[in-house]
Amino acid sequence: MSPERRPRGAAFVIAAGLAGLAALLLVDAAGLKQDGGYAGVGPGDVPRIIAYGLLVLSVLTVMSGLRGDLPKPPRQAPAPVFWILGGLGLQLALLHVAGFVISGAILFGMTARGFGQTPLWKAVAVGMVLALVIYGVFDRILQLNLPAGPLERLIFRG
Amino acid sequence: MKHAILGVAFAAALAVPAFAQDYTIMAPANPGGGWDGTARAMQEVMQAEGIAPSVEVINVPGAGGTVGLAQFAADSAGDPTKLIVGGYVMVGAILTNASPVTLKDVTPIARLTGDTQAIVVPAASDIQTLGDLVEKLKADPGAVSWAGGSAGGTDHITVGLLAKAAGVDPTKINYVAFSGGGEAMAAILGNQVTAGVSSVGEFAEQVKAGTMRLLAVSSAERLPGIDAPTIKEAGFDVVVENWRMVAAAPGLTPEQVAKISADIEKLNASAGWTKMLADKGWTNTYLAGDAFAAQLEADTAATEGVLRDIGLVK
Amino acid sequence: MESFSLLMQGLAAAMDPMILLYALIGVTLGTAVGVLPGIGPALTVALLLPVTYGLDPAGSLIMFAGIYYGGMYGGSTTSILLNTPGESASIVTAIEGNQMARQGRGGPALATAAIGSFVAGLIATLLLAFLAPQVVKLALTLGPREYFALMVLAFVTVSATFGDSALRGLTSLFIGLALACVGIDGLTGAARLTYGVPQLMDGIETTTLAVALFAIGEALAVAAMLTPSDGMHSVKGSVRMTGQDWRRSWKAWLRGTFIGFPIGSMPAGGADVASFLSYAAERKLTKHPEEFGKGAIEGVAGPEAANNAAAAGTLVPLLTLGLPTTATAAIMLAGFQQFGLQPGPLLFVMNAELVWTLIASLLIANLMLVVLNLPLIGLWIKLLSIPRPWLYGGILLFATLGTIGVNPSPVELGMLILFGLMGYGMRLYGYPIAPVVVGLILGPMAEQQLRRALAIAQGDWTTLVSTPVSATLLGISAIFLVVPMLMRRRGRGQVLSQVAGDAD
Repeated sequence: MSPERRPRGAAFVIAAGLAGLAALLLVDAAGLKQDGGYAGVGPGDVPRIIAYGLLVLSVLTVMSGLRGDLPKPPRQAPAPVFWILGGLGLQLALLHVAGFVISGAILFGMTARGFGQTPLWKAVAVGMVLALVIYGVFDRILQLNLPAGPLERLIFRG
Repeated sequence: MKHAILGVAFAAALAVPAFAQDYTIMAPANPGGGWDGTARAMQEVMQAEGIAPSVEVINVPGAGGTVGLAQFAADSAGDPTKLIVGGYVMVGAILTNASPVTLKDVTPIARLTGDTQAIVVPAASDIQTLGDLVEKLKADPGAVSWAGGSAGGTDHITVGLLAKAAGVDPTKINYVAFSGGGEAMAAILGNQVTAGVSSVGEFAEQVKAGTMRLLAVSSAERLPGIDAPTIKEAGFDVVVENWRMVAAAPGLTPEQVAKISADIEKLNASAGWTKMLADKGWTNTYLAGDAFAAQLEADTAATEGVLRDIGLVK
Repeated sequence: MESFSLLMQGLAAAMDPMILLYALIGVTLGTAVGVLPGIGPALTVALLLPVTYGLDPAGSLIMFAGIYYGGMYGGSTTSILLNTPGESASIVTAIEGNQMARQGRGGPALATAAIGSFVAGLIATLLLAFLAPQVVKLALTLGPREYFALMVLAFVTVSATFGDSALRGLTSLFIGLALACVGIDGLTGAARLTYGVPQLMDGIETTTLAVALFAIGEALAVAAMLTPSDGMHSVKGSVRMTGQDWRRSWKAWLRGTFIGFPIGSMPAGGADVASFLSYAAERKLTKHPEEFGKGAIEGVAGPEAANNAAAAGTLVPLLTLGLPTTATAAIMLAGFQQFGLQPGPLLFVMNAELVWTLIASLLIANLMLVVLNLPLIGLWIKLLSIPRPWLYGGILLFATLGTIGVNPSPVELGMLILFGLMGYGMRLYGYPIAPVVVGLILGPMAEQQLRRALAIAQGDWTTLVSTPVSATLLGISAIFLVVPMLMRRRGRGQVLSQVAGDAD
């Protein structure tokens, strides 16, 4: 779904997505045990009903798309979205290598950058302080287990 | 300066294991459950008794413990400070979920505690004995609805084994799986189902208050303080114990395994552990070494058999 | 009135200054942790429970009560101000609450949530104290078929959260229902849509979905706006409730309480279901239907009262039967056992003193909560004046903290990103967010209760209408479906005319 797409086109993409989801459900349901036991309703039956519902909605979405009923989204700035998604992606990738504080600082910094905060290093530095405080409070005091990296080990266990 | 800190840290890291080592215990379940409770009880006692200076508990919930088990086997190989709590439910979950990682991929250390299963009926039921219940089951398996925990769990297995022992086709049992003990118990109390299965401890208060009738327990011998026959006594050769164990990482040297086993033995022998078990109402069923390994093997085989019979494992 | 004098004794014991201090600490901690997006009451209680160890039973219980009510209440603040509910029970609060905040009426929204929580907590705790044994007897007569009927009713009323297009609302709901199929089927153990990924076996975590759709989706949508609207940041008018706010709120509080308490007491109810039903009720009964979806205060007052009343209701089966019916209750059960309190049918007889101390503690914690939070509203509002880069950086950090703390697997974080993107896309094209989460919560409940009911009745569908309660609930659901159709025929329906319009 690219943000610049015109509403009518978007409706078809959404409808295709719904139909795809329905197909996934139907294929999966076909692979399940069809025996409903004493209930008569087996594990595949409810997903099947939901899939039919999605198919109907998909058709209705196409029709509303033809009429141009979908609201036209305001113009979007793509850069901030990529900054934030990048931050989330880096956090995911680095979490178990670099630990909670560093990966959290990167997420914070890149999100702040996406909202227009420059320079990036300053935003990351602020994130580092916040993430350290969170780690101290939640991991050390409240015993919520957060992934530790080199920084956490150096500061809290060294 | 940095070198000095690192040096001290390094020295400390080297020095400590000679006397006692830190542990990280994984509870492969959400906080609040039995495995989490076991892990946290171990943590408390091991620290209080000085068996380990620092013990951390982490929760990795999911899929009957198999998510945690897989992560444990992969991430902690060769690390003698990592432990995982598990139990009988895991044996079943590994089979039903076709988990690629099994208990063979970790180093089981010892069985710690166990729960006995209990079969109950609502107080208003006309069923008085296990014999009555089995008669009904034989007459029309579908008419006897059983409330218990998740499909393929200990409760389900108990019903399957009983049906098999009574000569009833285990695939024909009308087992109604409820999420969590609370909902199953509500269904029994509300007279919604014919019978219920769960651990003795879950039902104890209700039985005492007379809102449920305890028909039989699944232990080999009668339980002290509980007025009910064993399933065996009632004439069906079924013994089920929902045990909990602790295992260590794969790929350890025999010395490392010996050290961990010694620590767990120390835990088991401590006064703090005895008191903890009494407070929690758990039975100590400590079993280690070869005897535990043999029991684990036997349990796995028996469980696989019954899950196949119920139709949960192909 | 023996219970009454016991309660008075409990209250007198709790008036000790040390005890009050514990209550204050508990409420403060509970609110502070509960307010973070992604950290719901279950996690809050689990995290803070150890803080209560080592105190004497009275002190421990009161701190505990404070944490519980504080954690329940805390979720509404971020819901209202930032459109990022941290837990399923404050999702519907976000619908109207955030609209109010955008119009600069965040203060009254927070106030009606706080006072509504207090009123509901007070009434529900008193109901718990005096009616628990009777309520539980009633709740136990309900079985899977009644719960299925209740879920049907919840489904029918869910259209209240649909926003301005029935087609898009239904689409959102069905996406939620489809997501709800992921995981092990509760009744047969069959794995659905898991594709061999073990982390998917237990299904999609409600908190993960809610945090991703709301918090991350919102952050993306706000960041991508070319011309940031400044409406959200300015506070117009007073932070206090006006006379009209009071007049419109008090009935909603009471209705929310009387919807929330019984549903929370049911072993298969829950605060989230209670809040959905309360929202639907307010929408049906309001004199200002045109304001719904645009910041109607009843839509905040009702659900917030309902979820707090349900929180107290949860204690009914917990204390009288030892039945933990929610994750939070399961953790509380572990907490009670720390000081030898064994919840069960004999609790009120065997541990009378402790029970009444607990109930007195709940009342005091409830009072503390409103005393603490009303003055804090001004401060919370200031949250909005934090510069956006820092504010949203912090929101995302906390939003991921909840997921990382509970389950730090790449799969879980990956889902957070994926659903975050979905939330952004849905916002772009005017798809409402709440029905997705509602579908995820109600879908499995309805399916499992239906199949349980049918299994018990050996496949006989008439079992679904065989008791007065289930028949009545299904009847009400049918009326809710049919009446709008009749109204449409008279030219006044919007919801169904849109479906029809879309289908033409």
